[in-house]
Amino acid sequence: MIRSSEDIIIRTVSRVLVPFIQLFALYVIAHGHYSPGGGFQGGVILGASLVLLLITYGPKETRRHISEKSVTVFSSLGVLIYSGIGVICLLLLGNYLDYGKLSGILHVAPAEARALGILGIEIGVGFTVMAIMFSIFFDISSGGKPPEDEKE
Amino acid sequence: MEVTLLIQATDDSFRILEDARNQAKGLLDSARILEDAREQAKGLLDSARILEDAREQAKGLLDSTVGVTSETRQMEKQKIQTIFQGVQETKSGFQNFIVTFSLLFVFWILLSGKFDMFHLTIGVICSIVVAHLTHDLLFANVRVGDTMVIVRRFIIYIPWLIYQIIRANIYVACLALSPKMPIDPHVLRFRTKLESDISWVTLANSITLTPRTITMDIKDGEFFVHALDKRVADDLHAGEMEDRVAHIFMEADHIYIQDALDVARIYVELRKWV
Repeated sequence: MIRSSEDIIIRTVSRVLVPFIQLFALYVIAHGHYSPGGGFQGGVILGASLVLLLITYGPKETRRHISEKSVTVFSSLGVLIYSGIGVICLLLLGNYLDYGKLSGILHVAPAEARALGILGIEIGVGFTVMAIMFSIFFDISSGGKPPEDEKE
Repeated sequence: MEVTLLIQATDDSFRILEDARNQAKGLLDSARILEDAREQAKGLLDSARILEDAREQAKGLLDSTVGVTSETRQMEKQKIQTIFQGVQETKSGFQNFIVTFSLLFVFWILLSGKFDMFHLTIGVICSIVVAHLTHDLLFANVRVGDTMVIVRRFIIYIPWLIYQIIRANIYVACLALSPKMPIDPHVLRFRTKLESDISWVTLANSITLTPRTITMDIKDGEFFVHALDKRVADDLHAGEMEDRVAHIFMEADHIYIQDALDVARIYVELRKWV
């Protein structure tokens, strides 16, 4: 069971750093097709920022920022975005994840449509990875008990 | 002889009668006076009763007045409080959001380095999302309205800190290169005048960043610092760094100009309400 940390330096520094870590994660996701990184890496960093909150502030405070319900929603939403883009490509008579066909909907050149499609895929991957990383850590740390059973 | 006696007797009897009359008159007078006094006393009693009544009534009135005034006072107090809180909350929430957003957007531009429309738009969206999620984290314990001032003063503080680090570096290099190695390591323990957690952490990290000193622990405002020699300890006790950190976070004996501005805002609100 994880309790909130007592050390004031750790608490304060993590409090100040979490926004920047999350923005860095979003940067890694958004620039995945230009520079190293991508959906998986960005999602892991996002999940790590939430894990940092969890190990410094404890489950109660963390649940105020992101609840288990929203974690479930995010993990499904990511898969929906990924498969949705793939299926749209199928419906536009291309292969699964054939982004070039998206140019018809987005009204841009096929090359640009590919870039946008990959960005969408990465956002989906990022959501799912973030949610799953966090929920694995949360479940292990709480011993699989539902939140009502915890005493603090 | 008899005649003289008779005359004397008559005289006496007259005198006695006169006396009696006088006495009777006096009695009558006193009776009248008594009557008057009784009357007066009665009047006094009546007036006293009336006064008593009046006093009772006045008391009742006063009680009700006091009740009314205390009630109105409480209501006024509550209203003022709600106005105060409303102003404070909306101000702090919105201001924190704006400051967090601008900090994050600057950070995004530093990271990204691409200035085309597409990336800037994504940057704005991501900054808004993250700022919305975490604006209560970044400026958790900061007093209302101070965020801009703190950010500016913190930026001014950094060059001074870098200068201190360079100076301390040279000093430690001199110590290490001198053949005798005149070091005298020991642990300092001192209580700080700073109040909030963020200023403690800033001071602790500044001490750690400067070579020759390391903050080992903070416990309830008491710092445990490992120092390399005696001169360093003296520097720390002089407390210039502490003063500067207190200045950044507007603590200790610094006047809060922002307080006056806040009060002015609330005063304007009150005037509208009155």
